[in-house]
Amino acid sequence: MIVADGDLPFTRLKLSLDEEEEEISAIRTMQSWVVDIPDPRHITTMLKCLKRSGLESPSLAHLKRIRKQGNISSLLISTSPNPPCLPSDLSLPSPYQLPVPCTAALTPTSLQLKCTLWPTVYTPRRKWEPETWSKGTVRWAGRAITHVMLEASKARAGGELPIVAHVPSPYREEDQFPMSFTAHDTRTSTRHPLRHAILNIIRSVADYRASEPSLDSSSSQSTTFNTLINSESDDSDVPRNGARYLLTGLTLFTTHEPCVMCSMALLHSRVKEVFYVVPMQQTGGCGGLACLPSLKGVNHRFGIARWNGTVGGAESLDVLEIDPTIDA
Amino acid sequence: MDHTSDQAESLEKAHLRWMQEAMLMAEEALAASEVPVGCVFVRDNRIIAKSRNRTNELRNATRHAELEAIDRILSDKDLTPIIVDYPLSDTILYVTVEPCMMCASALRQMGIQEVFFGCENDKFGGCGTVLGVNDKLEHPKHPSYKATGGYCRDEAIMILRRFYVTENTNAPVPKAKANRILKTEILPKLRDIV
Repeated sequence: MIVADGDLPFTRLKLSLDEEEEEISAIRTMQSWVVDIPDPRHITTMLKCLKRSGLESPSLAHLKRIRKQGNISSLLISTSPNPPCLPSDLSLPSPYQLPVPCTAALTPTSLQLKCTLWPTVYTPRRKWEPETWSKGTVRWAGRAITHVMLEASKARAGGELPIVAHVPSPYREEDQFPMSFTAHDTRTSTRHPLRHAILNIIRSVADYRASEPSLDSSSSQSTTFNTLINSESDDSDVPRNGARYLLTGLTLFTTHEPCVMCSMALLHSRVKEVFYVVPMQQTGGCGGLACLPSLKGVNHRFGIARWNGTVGGAESLDVLEIDPTIDA
Repeated sequence: MDHTSDQAESLEKAHLRWMQEAMLMAEEALAASEVPVGCVFVRDNRIIAKSRNRTNELRNATRHAELEAIDRILSDKDLTPIIVDYPLSDTILYVTVEPCMMCASALRQMGIQEVFFGCENDKFGGCGTVLGVNDKLEHPKHPSYKATGGYCRDEAIMILRRFYVTENTNAPVPKAKANRILKTEILPKLRDIV
């Protein structure tokens, strides 16, 4: 049973990279240097030349290098503000600037439009695309939210900030990660300004991961751990892979939008998705002050959603009240 | 040479001297098969903490050199005798690679006085390359701090390359790097040419 998007108890944050570019005016472009190469024999020379000068940068990886229009081939050189220096012995025409798409095409329409500017790569599937939710998944997430609310109230009673993070076993994939973790903010009790709930929970998961046997371990204990952690393989010669790396494939539930430090820590840890109840407009790194997973250049994306379903009675939200200038 | 440029020159020399200490920590990281990033924290003209990356050893992607050193400074009663809002307000950081956005935010929350770094961090740089967490983001409370790169930049890049030609078996889906060769040519800052 799939739950319709509008009936979900949360709202997904649209990452800026997901912005639709279905009209020519919506396509984000950047100025790029291009040179026409009238003699086809010079193309290979120029490609080698680009390689040597280190201009094969990832910022242009979503574009093709060569454009053929009629008899004329053109080469994409760089997005530098300054004109490139070309080898003088080839007697090429002067390079000129053209607006080219900033990102790869995500849909056929956008591909067609972008290719009118410059031949663009088509990448229809996005790794961080949200999956559909069943009623069971919604209940699973609801339990996680109830849990962080309850723990927040305990933390507050214990004199801490009521900020809690929780990583449950993934829904219907418990064998991938049979444990669940919960941590609260301890900056008050430890007198350490960086003991945020997220860093604390990442540390717990890492300590647990570190207790797994190393690859070269051949003790009998390793088999027990392996069967517990990774049911599909108890062969300790298998290289540790993405499935067992930090928070890969795991969803994190938290009471407050993580600060910039914690958002980057989650990105480093390759978390799959982050759900929060209270947005932190002034300090948050998941849409408030900044939105880290939507920045250009970062090597991992994670989904972000704000929980707006029931959290167990109106009075319980008061438990989460904190100074809005705090980094959660 | 006049007096002020004399002073500036000796200051630059001092920065390079501290950065050399940070490079030694990066070397230690490399020897331990960690991403080679090292740092020193300097207060009153002396090193109060030095550290390096321990992410692989601890299986924790957040254990960067800066956070390792901060934990040591805070747990040392001599270095942090009383609780204050900004325990690093009289402390300067020298780190071989531009702090990532996580560390840049942590440093701002700790009220760091100033940061000097070696090379830019194109993927995660939090002091201007990807995001100016140090001074561009308008935090409602924490003061901004100055971060300057370019100290021992070539050495910082070379040691990273020495690490990346070997395989990082701890990263997800390790890529075979048998064909990788160590490049020795160093280009100017990427954003200057591309």
